[in-house]
Amino acid sequence: MKKTVQIPLGSQHISLLEPIRFKFECENEKIIGVDADVGFVHRGVELACTRKFEFKQVGYVVARVCGLCAITHSLSYTLAVEKLLGYEANDRIKYLRMLMVELDRIHSHMLCLAHTAENAGFEALFMQIMAQREPVMDIQEAISGNRVQFDYISIGGVNRDLTPDLSALIHKNLAALSEKVDALMMLFDTNWSLSLKYKGIGVLSLENAYTYNALGPLARAAGLASDVRSESSDLPYEAVGYTMVLESSGDIHARNFVRLREIVNSIAMCRNIVDNLPVGEIQEKVKGKPKGEAVVRVEAPRGELFYLVRGSGQNILERVRIKTPTFSGIPAMMEVFKGSQYADAPAILASFDPCMSCTAK
Amino acid sequence: MTKIETTLSSLLADIGTFYDKKIWHFLTVNGIDLGEGKIELQWIFSKYGAKDEIIIYYLISEYETAIPSIIGLIPSAIMGEREIVDMFGLTVSGVEKGLYLDEDSIPHPLRSQS
Amino acid sequence: MKFFTPFRKKSPWILHYNAGSCNGCDIEILAALGPKFDLERFGAINTGNPKQSDIFLVTGPVTYRSRERLVELYTQIPEPKVVVAVGSCTDTGGVFRGMLNVEDGIDRYIPVDVYIPGCAASPQLIIDGLVKALEILETKSKAIEKPFKLFGAVQMIGTKLSRLNMAQRVRHDEN
Repeated sequence: MKKTVQIPLGSQHISLLEPIRFKFECENEKIIGVDADVGFVHRGVELACTRKFEFKQVGYVVARVCGLCAITHSLSYTLAVEKLLGYEANDRIKYLRMLMVELDRIHSHMLCLAHTAENAGFEALFMQIMAQREPVMDIQEAISGNRVQFDYISIGGVNRDLTPDLSALIHKNLAALSEKVDALMMLFDTNWSLSLKYKGIGVLSLENAYTYNALGPLARAAGLASDVRSESSDLPYEAVGYTMVLESSGDIHARNFVRLREIVNSIAMCRNIVDNLPVGEIQEKVKGKPKGEAVVRVEAPRGELFYLVRGSGQNILERVRIKTPTFSGIPAMMEVFKGSQYADAPAILASFDPCMSCTAK
Repeated sequence: MTKIETTLSSLLADIGTFYDKKIWHFLTVNGIDLGEGKIELQWIFSKYGAKDEIIIYYLISEYETAIPSIIGLIPSAIMGEREIVDMFGLTVSGVEKGLYLDEDSIPHPLRSQS
Repeated sequence: MKFFTPFRKKSPWILHYNAGSCNGCDIEILAALGPKFDLERFGAINTGNPKQSDIFLVTGPVTYRSRERLVELYTQIPEPKVVVAVGSCTDTGGVFRGMLNVEDGIDRYIPVDVYIPGCAASPQLIIDGLVKALEILETKSKAIEKPFKLFGAVQMIGTKLSRLNMAQRVRHDEN
């Protein structure tokens, strides 16, 4: 007699921001098998990049692959095209780009923390973290003019400069945020009811992290030292005080803590960047058409983002390959579900910070 | 970025001897349409802890030829292989269609429609 | 059911569905529900159940795989109901217009009452749109609203949608 029962989650569900459908094979409350359908938001961006848009426009199109990590998409594409054009940006441009990427990482990590709390049943904590996230959104709006999807990066530079007023605003808001994050770390570490939902739940072992090529916070929470910020020389991350954050237990608690400590690190980097901003132009003329093949890796909030761009000296590119973090993280995620309780599934899912619009493009 | 050419028959042996899961991070499988029924396939790896070290195994194949699957060696390759099956209409042994496209979508959109 | 009308106006429940958007509008909806913009002061709360909802917030240009879900969710919401399209791509297709797997806006499938522009739509605009939607909700009656018929080559999906006989197939030349 069949002893298992199939329970679906999605594609529309209160705990999901985006459509994804899971089919859990459950034995009583325990999940023993997972099947996922991730293609709900496939729009065909890769095709449009090589048929419809010219290479100067594509940077703004690929930003629409994902709203949360839009800046890393346009950054990786821009870096790839700049490599093909034989142009290297000056230090001021690099620093301003890093500043926006790190601000984006802070707000994305905070959203993930809030969402995990909501899915684990802590509605008040969700509201609290969402409120504390707003100062970062204010900074982004002040710098770029939009809260999300800010199209800040263009080929050959960035679109807006950092004025002294903005520097003061950044320092003020980040100082407030820094205190809140310290309090949050204390809360996540010591609160008993949070520990019931977070500690020891949804464990990814180091061995499995290697086998399934886990990446981003998911891998670093399991102790796998993989961060593109230390593996790529496109942006000078060492110069602004980057340190890798590693945890070892691999559960939801560890993933939350990786995110919290990365926020602390990102705040420090943002302050360094604002204080030590080099002098220079923010927009330089880049001539020519992309020819050849270039690969770029950038650490998005969810892990490694990979772009392969091939051009043939025309306005229209030959191939834009987008490999997004969640896309290659899905086998590892499915592995984590096996053996955990069905009631924990929404919290585990949110703790991966999955981005379906990235996955399906 | 290093590019190493391989062939369909030696692909599994090449990647099997090369790949060590504690040293190499498997990125993805990639396909590039070359026109006239030809496609370049790439298997992309990067090294943990090393700066800018990317290795691409590539081969040039035709759309009709079946491609061996590397899921046995690298389980996480399943996503990339399902994607090239959908987007290029290739046959990869043991990999099914339907990651992104529905029945009424344009079939194999990234293949050049000549 | 005059008795329930004032309550509905004071506590409209929201159903949110992502039909292929880039996430930008979705996180702005979350931010609007959060403490700073506080959409909940209008009595709105985010619910996952279409059968208890009054306002349908949709983001995204409708991808092929989400068509069926979109129409299903719409028909499950009891009348009177209001549809709010959040974001440029939901209104017209936006940057995704004419892309491979995309249907160029939700008003091909369901009647839309409020269009909110912006990529991404800001929380202020979302609040504005929701207040507008509340005004429209007051004027609506219990008359059944049907989704538009499905377009084009979706026979496969059409046969699955039996409720209200809504999925009569339309030939290409009619649209």
